Amino acid sequence: MSGAQIPPLPPECLEVLKHVWDYLDEQLTDETTERLRAHLADCHGCFQYKTFSENFLGAVAALGQRPGASPELRAKVLQSLRHEGFAR
Amino acid sequence: MNTPIINDAPAGGNDATFGREALPWLDDVYRFALSLTRDASDADDIAQETFLRAYRSWHTYTPGSDCRRWLFTICRNAFLRSLERERPTVDIDEVERDVVGAAQVYAAALEEGYTDLFARVDILPAIERAVRELPEPFRATMAIVDIQDQPYEVAAEMLGVPIGTIRSRLFRGRRMVQERLLAHARDMGVGRQGRATEEAK
Repeated sequence: MSGAQIPPLPPECLEVLKHVWDYLDEQLTDETTERLRAHLADCHGCFQYKTFSENFLGAVAALGQRPGASPELRAKVLQSLRHEGFAR
Repeated sequence: MNTPIINDAPAGGNDATFGREALPWLDDVYRFALSLTRDASDADDIAQETFLRAYRSWHTYTPGSDCRRWLFTICRNAFLRSLERERPTVDIDEVERDVVGAAQVYAAALEEGYTDLFARVDILPAIERAVRELPEPFRATMAIVDIQDQPYEVAAEMLGVPIGTIRSRLFRGRRMVQERLLAHARDMGVGRQGRATEEAK
């Protein structure tokens, strides 16, 4: 880390800091979600932090779109299944 | 992989359902295996082993249930068996430290002009590397929830841990990946120019 310090935060901002992943993963109660949503609408810094975290999750999720199994692996799987008796 | 010892293989009549319900998930199982292992060859082995075990256990599968999830669980178990070392444990009482760590990552990104880092397309190879280099059990947890888009409940069931543990593992794993990406950005000078441009305004 660069030695960056966290400034003292208001409780509402601290709540975003603690629960931003829960918020993005939809793990919070409706009441808490609504409270965070309202604060995010008012607090530019927290909104930016939420966007930063959201972009991160989006980028990681993109890894799920990588190429799948190779033709060689498909052939190997089918061959080994047939060896087990798979008839199709 | 060793030649499997049989058996309980499904009768011929079940092969059609196996082919229809299980085999279409080969791409997903391979990607999941790749997320768990550190190279494509190991992922091939794990994926192949997964389908062999699935075929032998097909009689335990409930037709029409979530086959992908069922296969992921087998895949995860095959991966664990492939590891010679013991499964590490996680201290889940360090959430506060992780909160501070996450804030430090963001503060550093803000300070150094990297807030748009994760929106860049060219960061993807670095993200893939950072996730693969994560120690277990963080890698598997992120692979299930963040890459394969499975809910916490499914990850908890697959990994045999409480949902709270999934949550803390995600918190820690994501922070570690972000830290590595920030270090990568510094090494590559990514974002510096944009920051300099902003400062010149």
